[in-house]
Amino acid sequence: MKVSLRFEQTSCRLRLDGLPDLSAGQGPEVIGILSGWQLALAGHTELEGKREHLEALLQVVLPYTRHLVSGVPRRFGAEGNPVQIEPVAENGSPTRHRLRLFSSQPDTPPLELRFDDAELSDLVRCLDQLRLDPRVQLGFSLPPERPLPRREILERIPLRQRLFSPVAAATALAITASIGLMVPVPRRPTAPSISPSATPAAPLSPPLRNP
Amino acid sequence: MADAPLTNPERASGISRRGLERLDLMLLSVEALDLNGGEAMLWMAGQLGFSDLFPNRVELWKRRCFNPLRLACRRGQLSEPETDALINLLCALADRLYPMLRQLLSSAEPAAVTAERWGLFQKRLEELVRERLNPRRGGVQKLLDPTAGPPLRLQLIQGLAFGAGTGGFDRLKASLMDATA
Repeated sequence: MKVSLRFEQTSCRLRLDGLPDLSAGQGPEVIGILSGWQLALAGHTELEGKREHLEALLQVVLPYTRHLVSGVPRRFGAEGNPVQIEPVAENGSPTRHRLRLFSSQPDTPPLELRFDDAELSDLVRCLDQLRLDPRVQLGFSLPPERPLPRREILERIPLRQRLFSPVAAATALAITASIGLMVPVPRRPTAPSISPSATPAAPLSPPLRNP
Repeated sequence: MADAPLTNPERASGISRRGLERLDLMLLSVEALDLNGGEAMLWMAGQLGFSDLFPNRVELWKRRCFNPLRLACRRGQLSEPETDALINLLCALADRLYPMLRQLLSSAEPAAVTAERWGLFQKRLEELVRERLNPRRGGVQKLLDPTAGPPLRLQLIQGLAFGAGTGGFDRLKASLMDATA
């Protein structure tokens, strides 16, 4: 009755143990109730956990990878979440990824794993196999893949580069305005003054006609 | 999640020109990694059931020419089934090349060997870029630039590695539909 499934990728091996949920009408080879899982990563300690830990791992690692593909990696997993992942930039070496796992046992320090891109992609491929396998029906709620909005993409562009255009525009406007101020204002043409000489000499009385 | 909620046959493709540019650059990277990439692409399209959309090299090339960086660039937009087919094709090709992508990204191997692999990839990609893309475009100059080029090439390889296989389709498609900065 017990079902075991294995998902493997070069440096990563994930094993699920569980039972079919017969009340939900699942077949004998389906895992509907997870009794345990083990994740073996080459060069790291083997991880074990319950259903909620596996769900937390999927909910953190998959969105992190989604952001990494768009070139804007950022931390996933809020304080208090059992799984956290963030990019770590090290001098002279490519960006690595730090996965921190917090145990539910009190007074246990978090387990910290560092991956390079290759190890992370192995893990992601294993998790992809798991979520796409029709034999795994655990009903995990995973965030759908969505295009990133503009404000998240802007983080990819360095602040200096982002500010260059508006600052250049403001400077150009200030220079143009100050040059404009230096140009003398043309004098207004004086209004013609009313003087007797300017008034037409109109005869006060009509000229006498010669008879 | 494989039959993506992102896909809607009644809608025009939501992929911007920048997304089409990245899609074609990733296909170009596949060709740089695999010397027989052009033939493999056509064979894979047949295997995936896209023979109607891409019956020959010319039809495939015409779709790829929507990349604004191309020498023979086409205007307009691709339809959603066409972009989906191209992304599916890319995911399948990346899946096939995954061992090579992994080697490029791995830090476990000697640095000299990794540098040699990246050098070979860079050389082939540059040859393809000079042959097919417009050298006057800023994006092409950046790709060939000795300082700005390596991070761009790394991002292309990362995109291929994390988008490889059926599971990568949604991830890759969503990233190609990102808003333009």
